Amino acid sequence: MRPEESLEGWVPAVGVEVPLEEVIDCAFDYRGDVTVVMADGRELTGYVYNREREVPEPYLQMFEPTGVSRTLCYAAIRTVRFTGRDTAAGKSYEAWLRRKTEAERPSPHPA
Amino acid sequence: MSVPLSQMWTVAAYVLRQKLRRRPRYPLVLMLEPLFRCNLTCAGCGKIQYPAHILKRHLSVEECLRAVDECGAPMVSIPGGEPLMYPDIGRLVKALVGRRKYVYLCTNAILLKQRLEEGVFEPSTYLSFSVHMDGLREDHDEAVCREGVYDEAVAGIREALGRGFRVTTNSTLFEGADPARVRQFFDTMMDLGVEGMMISPGYSYAKAPDQEHFLRRQRAHELFAAVLDRPKRRWRFNQSPLFFQFLMGRLDFECTPWGNPTYNLFGWQRPCYLLQEGYAASFRELMETTKWERYGRRSGNPKCRDCMVHCGYEPTAVDYTFGSWRGFRAALAATVTGRL
Repeated sequence: MRPEESLEGWVPAVGVEVPLEEVIDCAFDYRGDVTVVMADGRELTGYVYNREREVPEPYLQMFEPTGVSRTLCYAAIRTVRFTGRDTAAGKSYEAWLRRKTEAERPSPHPA
Repeated sequence: MSVPLSQMWTVAAYVLRQKLRRRPRYPLVLMLEPLFRCNLTCAGCGKIQYPAHILKRHLSVEECLRAVDECGAPMVSIPGGEPLMYPDIGRLVKALVGRRKYVYLCTNAILLKQRLEEGVFEPSTYLSFSVHMDGLREDHDEAVCREGVYDEAVAGIREALGRGFRVTTNSTLFEGADPARVRQFFDTMMDLGVEGMMISPGYSYAKAPDQEHFLRRQRAHELFAAVLDRPKRRWRFNQSPLFFQFLMGRLDFECTPWGNPTYNLFGWQRPCYLLQEGYAASFRELMETTKWERYGRRSGNPKCRDCMVHCGYEPTAVDYTFGSWRGFRAALAATVTGRL
């Protein structure tokens, strides 16, 4: 799997770079929207909130931004692109500490 | 310990019924997350990192009640997200109290004073506000990444206590916590007049931005042994004393991930409140099809190796209390003497 911290922007080459099952596992773990490309060429965008690969017909479940929930069989999926912003990426704790430290630093221009 | 007798009796009777029915796995507290939205972005929290369209969604009261009825646990904890941002929180709590469920509404209390003034809640033995407090002012504001939150929470606690509500606190301890300051914090909360306190080590959420400050197991034992060493008689806790003995390294427990099942927008979360390995469509499906043997410390699962969080181990402590004379005697002795 890709070594980068975030998968944002990843367009995996399914079958060559990585199997579809692993890409879908990554999509399930990803805290942003993805675009699912179906075998028939349709593209569906949304948040993958569940996947089940240990059943006879593996499937994923996603919420579209409209609120519609869809269940898609792995067999009908060609690939998944990581198109949405990764909401878990970033260093908010460090950023907050940095802001706090800067705020507490004495001003170079005394009143 | 500070749990009201009626609640203690309800829980004891419930656990004994499960034992008589020989149910190997049963829920103790339903973790009901009606929404993921929150008015804070704490560094140690992995619960709120979702796209905006997910954060805008919430469960309906009817969906929540269906889950409560399906699960059957005697206690319902409402975390989130921030439950006071849930538009139907008053109606939901009223319905749960009507079902005689002991409700712990887990809140950062930023909106508590406002909601109380709006008359959203009525005091009840069945309702307790469990206010997130991660230490004294400076420690708490640092943990929640915003200054002033401690003071807002204290104002909310005072308002709730003044109106006759049950109030407990819920604290997560992270790496670097100073035992002396934690003990001082306990004194401060008791001075405020809260009914009891709950404490737990933090869990290393894979999605939490701050990964540097989670406690590893041995460090957690050392910290809790120092924090809870010769506990003051005036400290009251809303937790099993055996769970504390576990935190201090004096008892060895295995995780009970089914003890606090979690229901949210996505369904019944596998396997526990902290890990998101998938979702089941019904509570029965969760209990019957989750591969429980893959979780807990003995499973060797690296995600479980250092976890000592109360949602996994407090149900174990309660089960041990009511499942053996030895456990019952140990819990009774700790409760009566105050010694851990």
